[in-house]
Amino acid sequence: MRNPWAETGNYKTSYRQDTAIFATYLEMLSLWALVALLLVLPFFLKRPQVFVLDLILVYSLAVLGLNITTGYAGLINIGQAAFVGVGAYTAALLAPSLPFWLTVPIGGLAGAVAGGIVGIPSLRIKHLYLAIATLAFQIIFEWTVGHSTILKQGGAIAMPRVEFLGYKVGYKNHYYFWYYVILLVVVLLAFAFRNLLRTRYGRALVAVRDNDRAADAMGMHPGLTKIFAFALGGFYAGVAGALYAYLSRAVVIEDYMLPVSIKFLAMAIVGGLGSIVGSFLGPAFLVLLDLNMEDLANWLKSLGLSYAGVDIASAMRPLTFGLVIVLFLIFEPRGLANWWRLVRNFFRNWPFKY
Amino acid sequence: MSYLLQLLVSGLVVGSIYALAALGFVLIYKASRVINFAHGQFIAIGAFTVYALVVYLKLNVWLAFGLALLFTALVAFLVEKLFLKPLVGQPIISVIMVTIGLASLLDGLIHLTPFGGGNFSLPRFLPEGGVSFLGVSVSYPQLLAVLLTALFLAGFGWFFQRSTLGAAMRAVADDQMAAMSLGVSVEHVFALAWAAAGITAAAAGFIVGTVSGINLESLVAIGLKVFPAVILGGLDSIPGAVIGGIVIGILENLATGYLDPLVPGGGTAEVFPFVVLLLVLWFKPHGLFGTEEIERV
Repeated sequence: MRNPWAETGNYKTSYRQDTAIFATYLEMLSLWALVALLLVLPFFLKRPQVFVLDLILVYSLAVLGLNITTGYAGLINIGQAAFVGVGAYTAALLAPSLPFWLTVPIGGLAGAVAGGIVGIPSLRIKHLYLAIATLAFQIIFEWTVGHSTILKQGGAIAMPRVEFLGYKVGYKNHYYFWYYVILLVVVLLAFAFRNLLRTRYGRALVAVRDNDRAADAMGMHPGLTKIFAFALGGFYAGVAGALYAYLSRAVVIEDYMLPVSIKFLAMAIVGGLGSIVGSFLGPAFLVLLDLNMEDLANWLKSLGLSYAGVDIASAMRPLTFGLVIVLFLIFEPRGLANWWRLVRNFFRNWPFKY
Repeated sequence: MSYLLQLLVSGLVVGSIYALAALGFVLIYKASRVINFAHGQFIAIGAFTVYALVVYLKLNVWLAFGLALLFTALVAFLVEKLFLKPLVGQPIISVIMVTIGLASLLDGLIHLTPFGGGNFSLPRFLPEGGVSFLGVSVSYPQLLAVLLTALFLAGFGWFFQRSTLGAAMRAVADDQMAAMSLGVSVEHVFALAWAAAGITAAAAGFIVGTVSGINLESLVAIGLKVFPAVILGGLDSIPGAVIGGIVIGILENLATGYLDPLVPGGGTAEVFPFVVLLLVLWFKPHGLFGTEEIERV
């Protein structure tokens, strides 16, 4: 007998049941409970804490995009920050004339176009080369921004305060307002992605990752699928970039350079490549780590570890990101999502194992 | 005309640095199919080791150079043993990601030394001036750069053609299984390939130090410029790496000479190689000398 509330065993008899988003009502309920919790959470937090939540959610969006290209389609992307930047700069250019609920999706579309263009070589070549193509895109993007007078050559472009329902979002409400906007977008896009994975296009991504020749033989077009993966990943990145631009109230090239791309990769790996839960755990882990970096550097200084000409604080970031990437790849390649999975599987049949 | 020649000559100098760096990169790729994103950091380690030995320990430049070669080779060797070896058999994505993580990690470690920021220049050890022919002047450091590169390339060429180790490395690159069954230690060869890459990287770093000043950012940037060079030459071709490196160096200088005046702000040399890279990927993805992969199901 199938229990709609708790899984007591595997009673799935059709693919439809197997691909269902929620196996039990309990799972659905717990997810809605999480969303409800996230909805009320800001009421209990101070401004800076809400800002941290905002950051985690925006990064999660970008990492979700990275997970589409790198995690699900298996295409290494070392230029995710550039795609995020495309969205941010699009939003920055359009913000003076358009409302934010238009500039954010347009930023996403711009990211998607950029992703599609970068993905073009995948019609002929394989992932190793594609990784290099994304690196080239990152560098060309940085250079182009640095040389465009309209983009202030990478200097800060201020984002206007937005109006919503005739109400101007001011200093006090800024982080709270954007928290809800970002949360809405994240929930929508995460659901869209979860659903996509059940469709033919989503499963084509995984098929092409696992064996593109077999996928080809089964009637999928590996090249087009890869371009699709890049474009979709670029869309998520673009949306994240536009939201980040509004959130931080300025667009600066430093937020979209190569080290940031590596930070996104670190987040995706720490969270677990090819996992939606991981796309949230990874950014949360690294943002919180990043916040404590300053304290860590000060602590190291107080231990007398600082010497002339060395800035420990600037060394800590690349050091920890690199260390985190390397250690996770060697010891837990499936990331934090794997721990989450283990815990969940323990409770899945618990306590009714019959 | 002499302007063009001058650009070509300085392009050749820059190109020989890229060629050396690209050589090490291709060595690793050929042996173990790993794309090494941490190559620029090895170049930096080599260059800063020479600097530290010469300036802090007051060693002779050539002795310092030799020690730096050994030290960088050791670092690369240890990196392979510590970080790459545990990942043998893992999907290629993880292996490449590890090199990206390593790049970041080594960056952080270099930041812990006094070389993290600022410019450094080796004390001058070559006479002022230079030679000139056909209206083109070549300074002694530039001459040294080209000669040293030629020397290293010849040395590695000899090593691969004549020595047993070189033959073993070529065998592994050709067919890992067959090489293993004939008694070649593949593990050993992987580590050796990394050590050899460390040597070429250190040599490239030293040459940068003789031609111009060194700072972390520009050395790491050279590590990234390796990509256009190897893609142009073909990822798995050693002559391709050398020719690709030199061509990219020359193209870069031609871009500085002829495109910079057209672009506000200039600096086209930083981006032009990557535009070339994308064009090569679009139209001739396996480069000039790379082997096209033919896949059979």
